[in-house]
Parts: sequence; structure tokens; C-alpha cells
Amino acid sequence: MKKRKITRKIILNIFFIMCCFIALLPILYAFSVSFNTSNSLVDSDFSFIPKDFTFKNYIAVIMDKPLLLWFKNSSILAVSTLVFSLGVAIPAAYAFSRHRFKGRKTILNTLILLNAFPAILSMFAIYRLLSPLGLINTKLGLVIVYIGTMAIFALWNLKGYFDTVPMGIEEAARIDGASDFIIAKSIMIPLAKPSIIVTAVMILIYVWNEYIYAITFLTGADNYTLAAGLYSLQATETSGNWPIFAAASLMVSLPVLIMFLFAQKHMVSGLTVGGMKG
Amino acid sequence: MKGSDPMDKKKIRWMPYAYSAPSLILIALIVIFPILYTAYISLTNMNIYNWFDFKIIGLKNYKTALFMLDSGFLAALVRTIVWTISNMILQLFIAFGLASLLNNNSLKLKNLYKTILMFPWAMPGYVSILLWKTGMFNSRFGLLNQWLEKLGLQTQVWLSGDLSAFLSCMTVNLWLALPFMIMIMDGALQSVSKSYYEYADMNGANPLEKTLMITVPLIKPVIGPAVIITIFTTFKQFDVIFLLTQQAGAKTGADIHTVLTYAYENAFITNNYGFSSAISIIIFALLIVFTLATRKRLKEEVQ
Repeated sequence: MKKRKITRKIILNIFFIMCCFIALLPILYAFSVSFNTSNSLVDSDFSFIPKDFTFKNYIAVIMDKPLLLWFKNSSILAVSTLVFSLGVAIPAAYAFSRHRFKGRKTILNTLILLNAFPAILSMFAIYRLLSPLGLINTKLGLVIVYIGTMAIFALWNLKGYFDTVPMGIEEAARIDGASDFIIAKSIMIPLAKPSIIVTAVMILIYVWNEYIYAITFLTGADNYTLAAGLYSLQATETSGNWPIFAAASLMVSLPVLIMFLFAQKHMVSGLTVGGMKG
Repeated sequence: MKGSDPMDKKKIRWMPYAYSAPSLILIALIVIFPILYTAYISLTNMNIYNWFDFKIIGLKNYKTALFMLDSGFLAALVRTIVWTISNMILQLFIAFGLASLLNNNSLKLKNLYKTILMFPWAMPGYVSILLWKTGMFNSRFGLLNQWLEKLGLQTQVWLSGDLSAFLSCMTVNLWLALPFMIMIMDGALQSVSKSYYEYADMNGANPLEKTLMITVPLIKPVIGPAVIITIFTTFKQFDVIFLLTQQAGAKTGADIHTVLTYAYENAFITNNYGFSSAISIIIFALLIVFTLATRKRLKEEVQ
């Protein structure tokens, strides 16, 4: 009986080690290739541990490709989108959570329906809107698109969390004569921290990972974001430098992995309406 | 204080609108305007030849999309539905299986396995897809072909045939989506009280009975919302199919359009804007119907 249990345990562990291997497979392969010297991997006994260990590909990505410039572009876009997104979403979410006004329910329900429209299908119309304003191929244009795209998610997610914060403390402060601004700043925002963090991380990750608007609206490698730049570095069926692409991919992913791990412990409590994802 | 009451009331009445105005204006610009504009363009013959002098042609684009079988839209729609259903079924079964095994008491390294299994979720989606494209499916660099060669088998061009490209896309989509589903299932399984199983054991229930009579009904309401979100994201999945098979200049030859990639191609590759807009509006209508239906179901289940 005991022996059978141990066998089961071993099989179960082997099974999960295999699952983990599959989950990491493309990443492990890219990792090993990125430290490998040659571009030709057609040699027959390939292993996951690079044979000729080298940092050459990483150095090449940083020195020969405008990766740092793309990193700067992505950071500017991500931070400005984040600041303005939260700046418009927090007051709006507060209003929808704490005030009762005409049209409130209608607006909230309409927003859910509007969110069903896939953002990618808006691209042509947005191009027609931004083009006469001279906002194509500018950071400002993309920031406006990104804020607008994330606005419904941010509003709903924060509003959902604000709703769960009890009114008691707020009413006490209001009797003492505190204004909405003071209440939001000193009561609401600290109490709603998990959902603000998760909303912020979702916005950052969205901007960091967005490539289709970036490759359509931006021209010239100097204006590219990391996502658009990485897209342009791809190796195709027959050409391209796979080790360099692998090295660039991993470098681009690292900030997202860090942000994700940082947000993970808040993920469940901070996401109130997962329905708004994507 | 009493004297200022009417003013305060007036101020309070306006305040919520002022607070939400910036957010709502942005939504109007980036979300509502495109929908209205798309609806308008869908009634015109705007395309590469009629870029400025397009004119209203009524519902012709809709008729082409919905009633002309060779337009390709209906095929894409059917393919999208097959894609969504098969992905969902596989995801639910695999995630349920893995989560159940993870909750086995004898598994000491559970948390380590769980953390590693979450990795595909944490990676930027488009990077993972591109890594799969080059690292796994590429006929020269790809691991799959290297393994086949090692086994002495014929190498494949994975992304060029319709069926093999579809299955490859599905594999990548499963790889990307399973972590979220496993996490949801794991949480749901842990929410089921052990006492139900003890009671069932006392009554001599077998494992299958326990799963069907206790686990499934009890986790259904917990995973419901997550399943509905995933149905939406799977239906709206664009990146996997686009990046693997349809990138401009790097098409693999497989015709596995879903409705979204089909609308994208008609707008940005063949520049058939009127037609693409009509498709966009049809997709929007379908998604709205589905949203309303699921919201009603969810509300009923909560009550």
C-alpha cells in the first residue's frame, strides 16, 4: 500500500515537471539560443545549455539595434498613459461609485456594451480622426489612443472596488467638512490601493505589449516602441538573426515579468470586473 | 451654513458630471466615434479606388458579407466559432485535470509547479507568439523540426497547411490561456468544502460520482464569470492567428481567417474599407447580443 502511494507520488511529480517544461519550452529555447554564438542551429546535437557561451547577442542588440531608444519610447508612452489614465479614471470612478446622478446607470451599462467592440477594429476610424489633427506618427496620438482604449476598463475596475469600500469613514469626514478632493486623497485612494495597483499594472502591461497600433501609426525605426521594434526584428522562415531576436525578446519581456510578479499578490483582490479584460 | 445649502446642492448636482467628463470625453473620442464612423463607412463603397469620392450604397456591403458565400466572411465566422468552442472545451478539461492533480495532498512542490505554470501568462503575449513562431514552428530554427529530424522523420512546414496551421495556432493559444484557467480552477476547487466529500465517501460514492455530483456543480458558479471572459477573449483572439500566419510580407499561405483577422485584412491589406466596416459592425452586433445574454444569465445565477 505504502509502495503504491510512493509510486503515485513519483509519477505525479514527473508529470508536473513535464508540464512545467512545456510551459517554459519556448522561453528556455530562446534563452539558450540567445547565449549561443552562431546563427546556424542546424547542428544535430542541440542542447538547452549553450555550448559556446557568449554575451555577444545581447551586446549586439544594445549596440547595433536602437533597443535603448525603443525602450525610452515605450517608457515615455507607458508612464504618460498611466498618469493620464489614472488621472481621468479615479475621479470618474469616484463619481460613479459615490454620487447618484441622472444617466448614471445608463452610462455604466452602455460602457459595458461599447467595450464589446474590439479595439483593433477601431484602428481605421481612429486613423481618420488623428490624421487631420497631425497626431499620426506622434507619441501624443498613441497616448490618446491608449488612454481611450483602457478608459472603460479603468473606470469599471476602480468603480467596482470603490463600491466595496464602506461609506462610514467617508461620511464622518464629510460631516467634519472635508471636500471630495480631501476624501478621495486621504481615504479613498489609500483604501483602494490594491485595485489602483492592479489597474496601473494592467495599463502598463497593455501599453508595453501593444504592437498593432504602434506598427500602423508609427513610421521610422526611431519612433518605434519596444513592441514595434521587436516586431521589426523578427526572424522569418528563411532569413533573420534568431539569436539576436531571442536576446531582444527576453530583454523586452523582463520588465513585464517583474511588473506581473509585483502585481500578482494583488491580482485577485484588485480585479473586480475581469469581464473588462482585453 | 444653512444659507449656502441651495448653492451646495446645485454644485453637488454638477460635480459627478465634472468628475467623469474627462474620462467620458476620451471614451467618446476613442471608442464611440470609431464605432459611429465605422457604421457610416459600412454604408459606403469606400475602397482603394474610391478613397475620396466614395458614396453611400446602402446595405450592399452587409448583403455581400451575409449572403454571398464566396465573400469569405461566413466561412471565417464558422471558423471562429469552431475555434472558440474547441479552445474552450480543451481549456476547461485540461485546466480542470491539472488543477485537480495540483490539489492532490501528497504534492509537496505544489506552489513551485503553480508558479512555473503561470509563466506563459506573465510573458508579453506577442513575444511568446513570436518565440513560438521562430523557436518552435520555423522550418529551419524550429525545435519541432529539429526533433523530427533527430527521429529520422520528414520535417513539416507547420504553418502553411490550413489544418496544421489551425492546430498550431490552437496549441499556442492553449499555452497562452491555460495558466489563467488553471488559476481560476485551482481557486474554485479550494473553495469546495471537504465535508461534502467526506459525506460522499460515507455513502460509498466513487470518484466519478464525486466529481459529477459535487465538484462540477459547486465550482460552476465560481468559474462562470472567468469562462465567459475567456470565451470573449478567444472569440476576439487576433494576435495568435495574425502573428503566426498572416503578417504582412510573411504570409504562410494558410487560410485560417477568423472574423477579426478577416476584417483587418479587408481594411489594411486589400483596402476594402466599406466592406471591412460592415463586417466590423456585424461582429459588434454579435458580441453585444452575447454580452447581453451572458449578463442576464450571470445576474440570474447571482440571485
